Amino acid sequence: MPTPVLMPQMGESIAEGTIVRWIKKVGDAVDRDEPLFEISTDKVDAEIPAPAAGVLTEIKVKEGETVAVNSVVATIGTSSDVSSGQEPEAPPAPPPVAPPRDAVVPADVLDQPHEKAATPQRKTNGRSATASKSVEDDSRKQRSSPLVRRIARDNDVDISQIHGSGLGGRVTKNDILGYIETGIRDPGPGARENLESPGSRTPDPGSRVEIKPLSVMRKKIAEHMVMSRRTSAHVHSVFHVNFSNVERIRHQKKAEFEQSGVKLTYMAFIAKAAVSALRKFPIVNASLDGDNVVYKKDINLGIAVALERGLIVPVIKHADEKNLLGLSRAIADIANRARSKQLKPEEVHDGTFTITNPGQFGSQFGMPIINQPQVAILGIGTIEKRPIVIDDAIAIRTMAYLTLGYDHRLVDGATGDQFMAEIKDQIEHFDAERI
Amino acid sequence: MSKSFDVVVIGAGTGGYVAAIRASQLGKTVAVVERQSALGGTCLIWGCIPTKALLEHAHALKVIQQASEWGVTIPSGTPAINMTQVHARKDKIVDGLTKGIAFLFKKNKITWIKGTARLAGPGKVEVFEGDTQTLEAKEIVIATGSSPRSVPAVTIDHSRIITSDEAIHLKEVPKSLVIMGSGAVGVEFASIYRRFGSEVTIIELVNRLVPVEDEAVSTELEKSFKKQGITVLTGTKIAKATSTPSGVTIEAQTPDGKTQTISADVLLVATGRGPVTTGLGAEEAGIKMERGYIKVDELYRTSVPGVSAIGDVITLGTGVHPQLAHVSSMEGIITAERIAGKAVQPLDYDHVPGCTYCDPEIGSVGLTEARASERGYDVRIGTFPFGVLGRARMAGELEGFVKIVADRKYDEVLGVHMIGPRSTELVAEAVLALRLECTVEELIKTIHAHPTFSEAVGEAAHAAHGAAIHM
Repeated sequence: MPTPVLMPQMGESIAEGTIVRWIKKVGDAVDRDEPLFEISTDKVDAEIPAPAAGVLTEIKVKEGETVAVNSVVATIGTSSDVSSGQEPEAPPAPPPVAPPRDAVVPADVLDQPHEKAATPQRKTNGRSATASKSVEDDSRKQRSSPLVRRIARDNDVDISQIHGSGLGGRVTKNDILGYIETGIRDPGPGARENLESPGSRTPDPGSRVEIKPLSVMRKKIAEHMVMSRRTSAHVHSVFHVNFSNVERIRHQKKAEFEQSGVKLTYMAFIAKAAVSALRKFPIVNASLDGDNVVYKKDINLGIAVALERGLIVPVIKHADEKNLLGLSRAIADIANRARSKQLKPEEVHDGTFTITNPGQFGSQFGMPIINQPQVAILGIGTIEKRPIVIDDAIAIRTMAYLTLGYDHRLVDGATGDQFMAEIKDQIEHFDAERI
Repeated sequence: MSKSFDVVVIGAGTGGYVAAIRASQLGKTVAVVERQSALGGTCLIWGCIPTKALLEHAHALKVIQQASEWGVTIPSGTPAINMTQVHARKDKIVDGLTKGIAFLFKKNKITWIKGTARLAGPGKVEVFEGDTQTLEAKEIVIATGSSPRSVPAVTIDHSRIITSDEAIHLKEVPKSLVIMGSGAVGVEFASIYRRFGSEVTIIELVNRLVPVEDEAVSTELEKSFKKQGITVLTGTKIAKATSTPSGVTIEAQTPDGKTQTISADVLLVATGRGPVTTGLGAEEAGIKMERGYIKVDELYRTSVPGVSAIGDVITLGTGVHPQLAHVSSMEGIITAERIAGKAVQPLDYDHVPGCTYCDPEIGSVGLTEARASERGYDVRIGTFPFGVLGRARMAGELEGFVKIVADRKYDEVLGVHMIGPRSTELVAEAVLALRLECTVEELIKTIHAHPTFSEAVGEAAHAAHGAAIHM
């Protein structure tokens, strides 16, 4: 029985995807999970694997076309002996909301050698340059016309979302007007209200201001952040954590890990500590559903990763089943694949806890907003050498502030602080033999 | 004996010969059936080329007539036109261009088959009147074009009551000429023969000249025509036209309901052109027709598979299909590319430029002000007169203007209408502006070289946004 191939949902805020490239042609044999086509959405670009083995019998959506999530884009015909009659799997549940505002730093660069941390200015400059270059390299500039850009500006439309019918995929006036008429997703009156702050008003003509409309993505992030703020009773606890022990272990194990092809980062230690703490305090790995608490049996760790086109929180499933080496490998893997558009749709779903890194640009600590429907988020401040008092003497240690943002509806201060104390303890007393 | 081709094109006008060349370029074997003795069709032999040649003669005469203004001394007598010499030069131009197409056919290995074609069942074309034979074709492209047609009240006799086909060959300049219809053909011959010395009366049924153009253009042309001594009768219907040995007598009903009798040497009927399908056997072959035209879809496919049609002979079923050489050739290219398996896109008929070579000449593209309002746009207008420009003063060409029709909401350039010097050339910028979906803002930001006539386009854009610089 033929298997329909669906446009996957790559994030809750994403209602449609554009097929950038068909990797397989009609008539090609495909294995299950073999890359079938490449998609682009406002959040993520990814190669989508075949849902079943067989022969690609039909391509319904051509390259460059944009269709709604869960639309059938192709059909894979299976040979008669493997006919199962099964319906294609239901699309995965929507993932959490857009990552929090400070989840802008790639997970695998969390590692912060203190030489660099001592000169944050230089580091920041270097990073900005790299980031902007990659934006230029990778951004899919949609061809359009002056008129289309004007209409897009006036209607707050992201042109890259529109399928261009003109020469070379150029977006024409009819394309964008059609898109506006049929394609705009209404965020709902509630969300709209949220965006309007009580004091907002249009500046007087002639004011020395420049007015630019929000991009679609910016608008979504705004909505999701406000939604999270409105949903959860945010509280934050900040702990000062000594990383000297971890730093020493990193130094000792560096060569050993490099032999396995993995860079041992601070993030891996933090993730490992968080997993232990989540095990001990399952309420932090839960969510609130009406009058029920939903305890998640699996620990699925979301790691905020910056992409040139925005943010995504890929999820390390069953993070509690991985050792330090496995976590290091998994973090590097999802971060790399997030950037090279190789993430599978299911890899951005079902997170139960999120780690984000506002410290990358030198922030001492952040106050992250919870990634709904989770109940807590761990923010990592910059890791650097600081003077601290040990046994009535001033000592220099590698330190960082870790922040837990959590939902007071479900997690009380005592629990949150105990959770953080557990993480602090894990990090400060990592057993080098245990890894 | 039958010959086999990938593509057989019927008609070697601008639609047919361009389709043939493009198909050949894309690797197809191509034959073109043409019953005229030369290639090029209406445009080259009867239409665009010879009339524009005559208009250049008229322009040359105009400059010489104004010799004193230019400080040129003419030895003696009044400058006059020598029709024998005019026709010789014109025929040489036409001859050279038709031979050019014959050369292109050779270069592209296109077989030119002389005769009249008839569709003879699927994939077959019979050729009569020349070398009688049957051609086998995987694809047939009908490009048989159009010919002048009259109205019921007027019968063409080809001597006193003539069409443009005869008007390009008049051996003598008629003393008086009445022209019926003020489309491109009517106003161009009015300009030619008025300059050559005829008393010209132009009669138009609608209440303004060049009815397809923007109303402001019509008003400007009428003003200029009257200044040149052309009698303009708009809103006037010709009830009857009778030829006599010495001329033609015309009964015209003017807007006030009165009947006016006009005598003239010649009546030129310029009321439009009808499709040429005689002998083609299109209906017998099962091709769907509409009011005599061949009905095609937006990619020029007829109702019969393997048979396409382009140019003046077609209707798309959506309003009036423009009978213009450049439209036909573009349709020919699209059709050839589609046949060759290339991805093609339908033409946007709102982006077809119209060029009328009357004096002052007209170039236009896109929506007129009235049409834009009808379509519901919040229209704004920018107009700039040529006469203000330094370049126009040097040329002594002070008539006319550029008018931009734009959408206030998104600033889209919807139409550009020009009458005046070089308008038929200047319109190219406007065509590109529409094609690329330009805003008025972009036109403003585009540098227009100084001193040129094109400055009027930039200034009209400024005017649309509030105020021109030099006004």
